[in-house]
Formats: sequence, structure tokens, C-alpha cells
Amino acid sequence: MRPSRREFVKWLSAGGISVSLSHLASATGVPFAAHETLPGRGKFNPATKGAGRVDGVAKVTGAKLYASDFRANDLPGWPQTTSHAILVRANDAAHVYTGLDLGRLGGALKPSVVVTAADLDRIGTQVPEFYAGDLFCPPGKTPLYLGQPVALLIFEKFDAFDQARLALRDGTFVQFGEETGPVVVPDYGAFRFTRVAGPSPDKPDVYSPLQAGWVSPKKVQSAALPVWSPLAKEMPADYAKAAKHGEQIRAELAADDASMLVLDREFETQSVDPMFLEPECGLAWYDGKGGNLELLLGVQSPYEAAESIAHLFGKARAPYKPAHINAQFAHVGGGFGGRDHTPFILYVALAAVCFPGKPVRLAHDRYQQFQGGIKRHAIKMRSRIGIDRATGKIKAFAADHVLDGGGLAHFSASVAVVAATGAIGIYDIPKVDVRTVAVHSRGVSAGSMRGYGILQAMTALEVLIDEAASELKRDPIEFRRRNALPQNGRTMTGNPYIVSVRTPEILDKLEKHPIWQQRAQFRQTSSDRLVGTGVACVTKDYGSGADGSLGRVELAPDGRIVIYCDHVEMGNGIGTALANRVAGHLGAVADEVSVARVDSYDVLGLVTSGDPSSIDQKTQDAAERNPRWVPAISSPTSSSIGAHVGTHSAAEAARVIFRFGLWPAALELWRIPRTDPRARQWASASWQNGQLTMPGLEMAGLEPLALPVLAATAHARGFVTGAVAHSFSRWAWSRARFPLLGEQYRADIDALAIRKGKGKFERINRASVKFPPTDNNRIGTAYTSMCGTVVRVEIERATGALRIAKAYSVFECGTALVPEVVMGQAQGGFAMGVGYALLETLPPFEGGPGNGEWNLGRYLVARGSDLPLRDLEIEMLKPQTADEAPKGMAEVVMIPIVPALINAIHDATGHRFRALPVTASLLKGVLA
Amino acid sequence: MTTLSLTINGQKHGPMDVRDDLSMNDFLREMLGMTGTKFGCGAAQCLSCAIIVDAPDGSSTTSPTCVAPAVSFDGKSIRTVEGHAQGGQLSVLQQAFINHFAFQCGYCTAGFLGEGQVLLERLARAPVPREALERTIADALDGHLCRCTGYIKYQEAMRDVILADSNRYLIAAK
Repeated sequence: MRPSRREFVKWLSAGGISVSLSHLASATGVPFAAHETLPGRGKFNPATKGAGRVDGVAKVTGAKLYASDFRANDLPGWPQTTSHAILVRANDAAHVYTGLDLGRLGGALKPSVVVTAADLDRIGTQVPEFYAGDLFCPPGKTPLYLGQPVALLIFEKFDAFDQARLALRDGTFVQFGEETGPVVVPDYGAFRFTRVAGPSPDKPDVYSPLQAGWVSPKKVQSAALPVWSPLAKEMPADYAKAAKHGEQIRAELAADDASMLVLDREFETQSVDPMFLEPECGLAWYDGKGGNLELLLGVQSPYEAAESIAHLFGKARAPYKPAHINAQFAHVGGGFGGRDHTPFILYVALAAVCFPGKPVRLAHDRYQQFQGGIKRHAIKMRSRIGIDRATGKIKAFAADHVLDGGGLAHFSASVAVVAATGAIGIYDIPKVDVRTVAVHSRGVSAGSMRGYGILQAMTALEVLIDEAASELKRDPIEFRRRNALPQNGRTMTGNPYIVSVRTPEILDKLEKHPIWQQRAQFRQTSSDRLVGTGVACVTKDYGSGADGSLGRVELAPDGRIVIYCDHVEMGNGIGTALANRVAGHLGAVADEVSVARVDSYDVLGLVTSGDPSSIDQKTQDAAERNPRWVPAISSPTSSSIGAHVGTHSAAEAARVIFRFGLWPAALELWRIPRTDPRARQWASASWQNGQLTMPGLEMAGLEPLALPVLAATAHARGFVTGAVAHSFSRWAWSRARFPLLGEQYRADIDALAIRKGKGKFERINRASVKFPPTDNNRIGTAYTSMCGTVVRVEIERATGALRIAKAYSVFECGTALVPEVVMGQAQGGFAMGVGYALLETLPPFEGGPGNGEWNLGRYLVARGSDLPLRDLEIEMLKPQTADEAPKGMAEVVMIPIVPALINAIHDATGHRFRALPVTASLLKGVLA
Repeated sequence: MTTLSLTINGQKHGPMDVRDDLSMNDFLREMLGMTGTKFGCGAAQCLSCAIIVDAPDGSSTTSPTCVAPAVSFDGKSIRTVEGHAQGGQLSVLQQAFINHFAFQCGYCTAGFLGEGQVLLERLARAPVPREALERTIADALDGHLCRCTGYIKYQEAMRDVILADSNRYLIAAK
């Protein structure tokens, strides 16, 4: 059953309801019954009135939006009764798992079905490579990690499930035997990033990853950590070359050179939980006869989720092998990366397949979410920095990172790369050598989470920079400005950023802010209440380097606009951003925005092959001869790509509708012949108050035109009224040429279909395409956004209690599609950063969340009273140009507050903390 | 099993037999299908599950539902997020939350709405001085967790609603 991607898309096209929030003419008279706003049925879009989000009314009226809201009887065509499953996880990873003692579940509490590893063998499942490892730990083996699933218990009736989950709460029914110690597994990835700049900025680098490729040391299975020496036996030649330069940099840092300040410091960050408020949940129904597997899920990666489930059953035996998968995706109640490539969905599907004919709901409670949900990597970092004392210029930097990846590989290798390639932050450093390794441990799996390694690396760096400035007796902001990477400077991988670099502007803003200006005046280091000020300035990539997006826009004869997009609404306001971006081309906010749709682009007939992150140029060149081939079809909503990538295809589709639909309609209505030079001036046309106009219109005695008039004309005349587009970014957009209505149309897309008038959509095969070169895969990042924070803290000496007295953050994000949403994300990022710096922590192994005993209350996240709600100022820089593209900002905004707090604590107490979180008890300890 | 009767959003439910250990959250979400009230932690720590309980004397409080047995609500009158809008008209607070972009993922919104509504009604009965307003709002909402927004826009929305009708909610300055 393993399908091609093409077949797979066809599968998905058969299902896929998703959230659809439509036009609300007026709030008056709209019935707000409990079930009135099921996805796809709502008629609410307050954004058309110029205020609020497209999902605003649904969210304040308790509409069913999230996966956890749905039961079988909410879904058309499903059986009426919902069964419930419990995913049982191991709370020990140092002893042999021997089985379950379900003796306490007698009578009515007895599960209808118990699914274990033996059942997987019977069914013939295959684990997707990304989740490699036993889906269930079989009896007789030591669990691979704390929280590894061991069984699914399925209960036909809710009451049995409800009572059973209480009876099983203590976890003692999961039984273990002989002590073996943790399972040893090879590391998830080890890399070395080394760059030696040329003699001057205009000269080529002596060595860089961009020139020479990314390198890894030889795997040494018997050692816990890689052997980094270039001289080790059988070391790959490309690695040895990098390592030789790297070791030279380290030797220079170790040399006894009085002209250099060298600091050698360690920093440790902790494991934390994304703590999205809606625990993971899914609903599935399998007919049991080799027919449909229906799913309703809430994830950040819908395409991947459905693909992984298809792979899971690809070689299953009858009758466990579905012929058809309908995957439907709901809004998610927070994501923060933790729902991107979540293994949870595999168990939802398994529950249904193992209880055929009955819809089954699998829902984590909070204990289970802590026990099994993806975590942020704890990282141990050792950093060495060398600064010329005379000039204050950073000359060299070397670091070693060890990431605890927990039980499954997940994105550990990727997080390690991002942390390493981002380790020099905003700075221009000519010699850099960073070694990084992501290791397996028996801890709960770590993976993608907001900040994605940069949060950790940037915290260590900005604390180090602060110390360096202090040692050199230089002003911390002046020191940063002196060493900041200029607009065209090269990053650690040897490439410049291709977007704006506004570090100087941000540093200027920080420097001039009253919090910084008044730092000496407010500073108190000797009283009962200590006061200090700290600063930090960071940069964070956005995009993964292989991002695809799909968009479809339809214009009705009355001017109504409908948008479909494959990206997911997880609070990021993607639906509202889509509506606003399309409105820029079509002159009105959409009446219906449908997100998380992976079923609306069949007409493009897309195919793909290979891995877009590792494909070679020759293979890509050969593949692109097929006009339907693209490097990647759809991407998770992650890596801060919502604005930049998620809205791109729909915006380009809207551009096509304008150019080949509304513009020719306008020419007809204005009676401007196509031979008139003005007929080519579509770029100078603009929407004003819902009317299309162009320079000189009034002088010519012509009237602006309203969208409904234009739409009606476009339909009547058979002009373009709908478009479907696909786009791909590998640190640059794919660009293609399409023969379109007698013209050669070029755009930053690689697949296009159009609809004329009321006709059907038809694919326009591209005449040529230029995909970003595969060498771009050697780039660490080319897209980045900057953010800086200055903060003043007050610390009670007696208790260690810390209060954030005032804070100011300033960031840039290109053009903000929905400024209110952007500002909300910045405020939320600040809060999450405060929690990370001061409150949140999970022990890695025994006693940690893998034991199933963690919940809120024990795990602390920032509440309103932990934050300076009335004393937080956030500034969003205006775009540099009116047409500057949107830049991802959802991650960078949570980062600088973390090191700024540590630096402020040092300013107040004289103690420089080198591990997170800095809790009140730790503060009290150093102040005693 | 215990017989339960209660009023939800002005509508009588019951009598019906429910298990003594059934939580109010599951009663609403599983038995009645009223999933506007969310489940977040099951430990009364996040309050995404909070509802409004109306007392006979006209006062109201909020209550978590995840740790409270459904039977403890026997005879009571409660309001959930599904009941805030009346006759197709959003409440003032609902509209303010939308206008302020107060929420993002929205999973905590039902809890904040309930708490905010109770605060508005309390202030209508017992106004506070303007200088006490910020502390009053902060204290009222502080038990509710939001992981997306940083709380600021929720508080701004509350403040705007109160200041827009200050004669009702605030003690007039002398």
C-alpha cells in the first residue's frame, strides 16, 4: 500500500475537512449555539469588519475547533459512539520491562482491547524512519527511554475508560524485572562547523562550510562522545581538513597571549516542556474491512502526519491494511514546535486499526503529556572566546555543544546544527570552530521547540559577551556594536544573510532607552533590595532551508474571496495573515479562509522525490525536467515560517488573479485598449477603500472600480478567477516561467493552475524553472531576524524573590502582515522566555517527567504576576521598504530576555549564573 | 450513582444519574458535548476549565471543573463559554477580546472570559477606585494560564471594557 507521493495526495484529497471561518455580515442575529461553528460550517469573519482574527468569534464562543473538541457524533457519517484509549508508557528505563498487571481492571473496567508490541508484529506495521525505535517496548527488553509506550488499552465505554485511568494513575501496574542500566544507542548526529575568514572582508574565506560542505567525524560506536581529532584513525578527509583548521583556532585561543582576553566558560540549559495548553489528542475510525481509515488530528505537520500513518500501515496484513485514508486537521491549542512530527498520531491510528468499526479517541491528560510529549533539548556548552584587548574586536570563537536528545532521534541532529551554526549570534568573528553532538539518553524525547537550539546557544553567548565586555571595561552595548556582523558580512557557514540585518539600529534603540540610560541611577548592590540592569541582542533564523507551501484562491462573481492553505493555525494568526496578504492583491479581506488543508491542490499534480536538504544538483536538474516535480510539496508550520512561507503561495495565486483576471477586467471597464501603454501599468494600480485605481485615472475621466464589479466582469469575460500555486524555498524561492494567456509569466512559484470564469481549474505546465541550487544546503541560514532586550530586575536579598521592574524589547520582522498578532507573539515570547530563565525545569531522567507524575503546579510557567505587564514596552521596527517581505519573528522574540535577565542578575548580585533556570532559591543561596 | 440536576446557561438539565467520581469537566464535555469548556491540566492549575457558578444571592464565582465532581454542582446554576453571547450578540467582553487580539491559540479563552465576566459583574455591584483597577484586574486573572499571549492583551481588553463604562464599574473620583 506504500503510495507514491502523487497517490498520496490523491488519498488526502478524499478527506480533509479543516477549519473554515467565513463571512460574518453582522454579529447581530447570528446564532451562537454550542455546535454552530464546526470547522467548515461557520460564517464568522470579523476581520472583514477590520478588527480581530478570522477565527476570533469561533474562539470566544466555544466553537468546536480543536481536535480535543470532537467526538464521533460530531462528524458526519461516523458511528455515534466514541471509544477511548489509554497509551501506557514505561516509567523506568533501566530495568527490563516484563509486562502489565491489569488485575485491578476487573469486571466492567476490563479493557476491550490491549495492544502491545506483539500486535504490531501480527499487523505488520513498519515504523517511519523519523520515529525509528520500537513503537511499543516488548516484554523482555529494557525501554529505550522513559515514557516509551508499552501498550494501548482501549475501552468501548467512556465510564470504563474514565475509571480505569484513575485506577492506573500510580503507574505501578507497568512491571519491571532485572536491572540492566540504560540502553546504549549511537549518537543522533555529530558535526563540526569551522570557518577561517580571508585577510579582509572582501577576500574569500580560507575555509568555510559553504566552500567545503558540512563535515562529521567518524562514528566511534564504543565511545559516548565523538572523537574530534583530525588525526584519529580512518577519519574522513573532508572532516580532517576542517578539524585541522579548527584545532589551529583552538590552539590560538589556548596560547599565552597577553594581547588577547580569552574566556573559557561553560553553560548548561535545562529540559523544558512546550506546555501548549491543549494536550495532544486525536480521533480515528477504521471500518475494519480494508477500507477507510478516518482520522481527525491536531498537528503542526499535517502532510507529514498523514504520510507517516500511510507508511505505518504500508505493509500491513489484511484486514489491518486500509485502502484509503481520510485525514482531517483541526486548529491546535498551542504548538511551539511540540506538535511538529509528533509520534502521538501513530498511536491514534493504531488504536483505530486495532478496534475496527469503533471510533477511538486517544487523548493525553497533562501527566501523560509531560511523560510523552516532545521536550526542548538540554544542552551543555563550553565556549571559548578571544578578544583583542587593544581594539575590542573578537578574533576567535570555539565551542563544544552536547545536546541531550532523549529517547527518539526526532529533530535532534537538526537542532544541533542550528544551535551550532547560530552560536556566534549577531557577531562578526573571523575564526570560528564549533563541534556539536546530539546524544541519545533514556530521557523523554527532545525535538523541535520554539527557539530550536538558538535559544540555548544565544543565552550562553550573550552571557559570555557581557562578561567579556566587563573584563575589558567596555560598555556592553558599544562592545556589541563594535563586533556586530554588518549587512553583507559572512555568517559562520560562510554566506551572508540575504535579508535585512538591523543590529546597529536595534543596539541604538537599546542604548537610548531610559532603562539603559538610568541603569547606574537605579543600581543597588548593597541594600535589602538589589537592583540591576541587563542587556542582550540576538538573531534567530527562520525557515528550515527546505520549505514548501501550497495556496489556492478563488474569486466569486460577487467578489467573495476564498483562500485555502496547507499551513496550520496554532494561534499564530496564519488565517488572518493569509486574508490580509491576499487582500493586498485583491482589494478585500477573504470571506472564507481554510487552513491546514492538504486536499485542495490536486490539479497541480505535484510529484517529488529525494530529500530536499541533501539532494545533489545533478539529481535535482534531472528531476525538474518533469514539470510537475518539486523538491518538497508541503512543510510543517514551524521554524517561524508562517508569514514568510505559509502565506506566500496564496499571495502569489492572488497576484495571478489580479494580473490576469481583475486587471484585464478593469481595462475593459475603463475602455483602455490593450495597445494603450497604460494597459501595461498594472504594477502602478492600487486599492484604495476597496476601489481599484491607478495614477492619472481621474485626469482621464475614469472612475475607480469596486471589487464586485471587477469580479463580475472577470467571470463574464472568462478571465482568470482562481489560481492554485506551489512554492519552495531553499534560502531563496524557486522561480518559474509559465505560458499564460499569450504571455510568459514569471513568478516566485514552481507550479500553477488557473480557473477562467466559472470553468474548471487547469494546470499550466511551467516552461522553465530555476530551483534554488542544492549548494544552498551548505548554508546555515540566510534568513534571520534580530531582537534585543534591556531589563531591570529587583531582587529581595532575604528571599531571592526576583521582580522584573521594567523591560524593553525591540525587534524587526520586515512587513508585519497582522501587526496585532505580531505584537501578541512578541509579548507571549517574552513571557515564555521569562519562564525559561527563571522558572521552568524538568529533571532529565528518574524523577523527571518520564515517571508520569508531573503536572502544572510542580512545573512552573510564567503567570501574569511573574511579568511586568504594565512595564513591558515592545517596539516593532517599521519595514525598511514598503515592499519588504515579511520575516519570521515568532521565535526570536523569546530569546534575548533570557540572557538579559542573567546579565541583570549579575549586575545586581555580582554573581554570574551559568545554568538555567535561575530560581529564587538559587538566588537566595548566592545572596546568603 | 447520584441524581444530578442543574441549570446551564439558563437551561435546565436533569435529573440524570451520573457517577459520583465523574468530573464536571467530563460531564460537560463527554455527556453533554459542551466542549467550549476546556481540559488543560486536570489539577486546577491552569483554569482553562473554569466556568461561572451563579449563587442565589446574585453573586457569581468561577470554579475549575477538572477536579470538581459533577455531583457537587447539583442544584446549581452555571454559565459556560457557550452561554456568554445572547441572541446572537457577543458579550461586551467577547467583543473586546476579539478587538484586542487578546488570544492566540484560544484554548485558554473560555477560562479568561468566565473570570473576566465575573469580575465585571462584581465591579458592577461593588465598584473600585480607578487607582485600584490594575491590581484588581491582575489579581482576578492571575490564576489563569496562557502560554501564547503574555497576558497583556487580555488585561488591556478588560481595562478597556471597564473604562468604557466607568460609571458602572468604578467609584467616581471625588
